[in-house]
Amino acid sequence: MKLQITLGTIAMIFIMAFPAVAGGTGELQKYFSDASAKVKATNNPIEKREILNNSFINMSKALNTVQNLPFISENDRAGINNLKTKLQEKQDELSGSNGFVRVSDGQLNTFSDYVVQSSEQAFEVITISLVALLLIILIVILIV
Amino acid sequence: MIIPHSSSVKRILFSILFMSVGFPALIIFLSSCSTGMMVNHTDQQIEDVSRTQYSIVCIIHGDGDYLYHDTSSNEHTADQEALAQVISISRQNPQAEVLIFHQQPKRNFLFFFPQKDGEFYYYRNGRLIANEMYWRNQQHSDFDPEIALYNRFHTNDQNKMVRVFMYFGHEIPEFGGAGYNLSYPGQEFNINDLAEKLKGFTHDSSRFDLMILSTCFGGTPYTIETLGSYARIIVASPDNLHLSYFNLSSLERLDISLRNRDVLSFAKRFAQQAFDRLTSDVQTAVSVAVYDVDSTQEYLHSVQGIYNQTISALKSESPVSKPIIEPCDCAEIPGYVLPIMNKGVDIFYRPARFGRLKSKYSHSGWECWMDIKKQGTILKLTEPVQKSNQ
Repeated sequence: MKLQITLGTIAMIFIMAFPAVAGGTGELQKYFSDASAKVKATNNPIEKREILNNSFINMSKALNTVQNLPFISENDRAGINNLKTKLQEKQDELSGSNGFVRVSDGQLNTFSDYVVQSSEQAFEVITISLVALLLIILIVILIV
Repeated sequence: MIIPHSSSVKRILFSILFMSVGFPALIIFLSSCSTGMMVNHTDQQIEDVSRTQYSIVCIIHGDGDYLYHDTSSNEHTADQEALAQVISISRQNPQAEVLIFHQQPKRNFLFFFPQKDGEFYYYRNGRLIANEMYWRNQQHSDFDPEIALYNRFHTNDQNKMVRVFMYFGHEIPEFGGAGYNLSYPGQEFNINDLAEKLKGFTHDSSRFDLMILSTCFGGTPYTIETLGSYARIIVASPDNLHLSYFNLSSLERLDISLRNRDVLSFAKRFAQQAFDRLTSDVQTAVSVAVYDVDSTQEYLHSVQGIYNQTISALKSESPVSKPIIEPCDCAEIPGYVLPIMNKGVDIFYRPARFGRLKSKYSHSGWECWMDIKKQGTILKLTEPVQKSNQ
C-alpha cells in the first residue's frame, strides 16, 4: 500500500503539480469547504457526522503519510504534527471524546463552517512548506 | 506552373508566423512595459485640493494565498474583496484622497513576458484621478515604488489632514518573513520592514492618526510598539483574523463621521462595526482591538524584556533550543499580567464557537507566543526576567 501511494504520489506530482501549486493552500481549504457543502446538502445528522468524520480521517492519513516521508524537513514535521493535533481536536469534539462536549445535531452545519474557517486561518499551514502541502493535497486526492 | 524558390516560401511562412503569433506577442509585451492606464491625470491640477481633509494610504497584499470560502462554499479572494471595499469607500468620500497599492502575484504572459505586479489607484474627493500598473521591487521587499507613487500624487498639505494607513494581508511576522511574497520567496518581509517603509509615507508630517492593520496577530506587544512610532491609534486583531478582514463601511463619508476629528472615538466605532460584521459570519474567534499607542507605552516598556527574550529564542538556529510556538492571549502568561495591561486598549472579543477555547470569554487585547514544544508556556523561556521583575 505504501509503495502504491509513493508511486502514485510521484506520478500525480507530474500530472497535477502545476494547478496544485497555483492553488497552494487553497486546495487544502477547498477540501474542507467541499465537505462542508456536502454536510449542508443533507438533512440527516448521521450522514453529516459521517461526512465530517471521513474528511478528518482522510486528511489525517494524508498528514501521517507525508510526515513519514524521508525527505520531509523537521520544520514541516513539526507543522504537520500541530495540524494533526488540531484535526484530532475537531474529530474529538465532533464525537464528544477526550473531554470535549459532543457537537449537537443542530450545530453540525455551523461546525462545518468552523472547520473551513479554521483551515483558512490555520497558523500551522503557513509554517508548512509548499512541497509538503502539495504532497498532502495529492495524497488526500489519492485516498478519497 | 511556377514553383517558388524555397527561400521565398520561407520568407512568406515567416511573415505569416510573425503576423499571427509574433506581432500580437510583441504588442502585448510592449504594452506590459507601458506605464499603464492613466485616468484624468491632468485633472489633478484643477481639482479643488483645499477640499481634501482626509488622506488614506492603503496597501493590499495579494501576492500570497488569499482564497477563502463563505458559508455557501463560494470562493473569494481576500485581496480582491478588500480592493472592492476600499474602492467603494474611496468613491464615497467627497473630502478624502485615497492612495491604493494592490500588490499582485508575478505573472508572465505566454510564459516569457513579465507583467507588472502592482496596481495603483488614486482617488481624490470621490473621483478616480489615476490608475496605473507598476513594478514592485523585485530585489527587496520594500515599498520604494509605492512611496515614489505616493510622492507623485499625494496632496502637500498632509499636516492639516486626518491621515489613515491601512494594510491588508496575512500575518506580518515579527522577524524573518521569507516567503511572505509568494512570487519572491527569497525576500523577507516583517514588521520591521513595514515600519521602515512607513517612514516614506510619514516623512512630511508626524505619525498617521489611525492605522488599520487587517492581518492576523496584529496585536502583539512588539507589533504595536514598532508600528506605534508611525501611528497614534492602531486598530488590529490580536488573534486570528478571518480573510474577510475588517468591514470598512465606517470609513464612508469621513466628512460626516470624523468631522470632529476625534480619531480615538472613531476608531472604537470602526472596531465595533468590524466586530459585529465578523461575528455574524465567522465561527472562529473574533478579536478587534483599538490601541491608543501613547497610553500603551508604559505597559509595552514593562514587558519589553520578557518579550524580547522570547523573540531571541525563536530566532535560535539550534533546533533543540528553538521553541515551537502557538499564539495565545498574553494574559495566560503570568509575566505579562500587570495592572497596567489594559491601559490604552479597547478590545472587542468573542471566543470561537467550538474548540478548546470556546469558553474563554475575555481577551486582554495582547497576543503572545506559547512554547508548545516544552508543553508549557513561554514562561519557561523567560523565567530569569520574570523573577527579576517580581
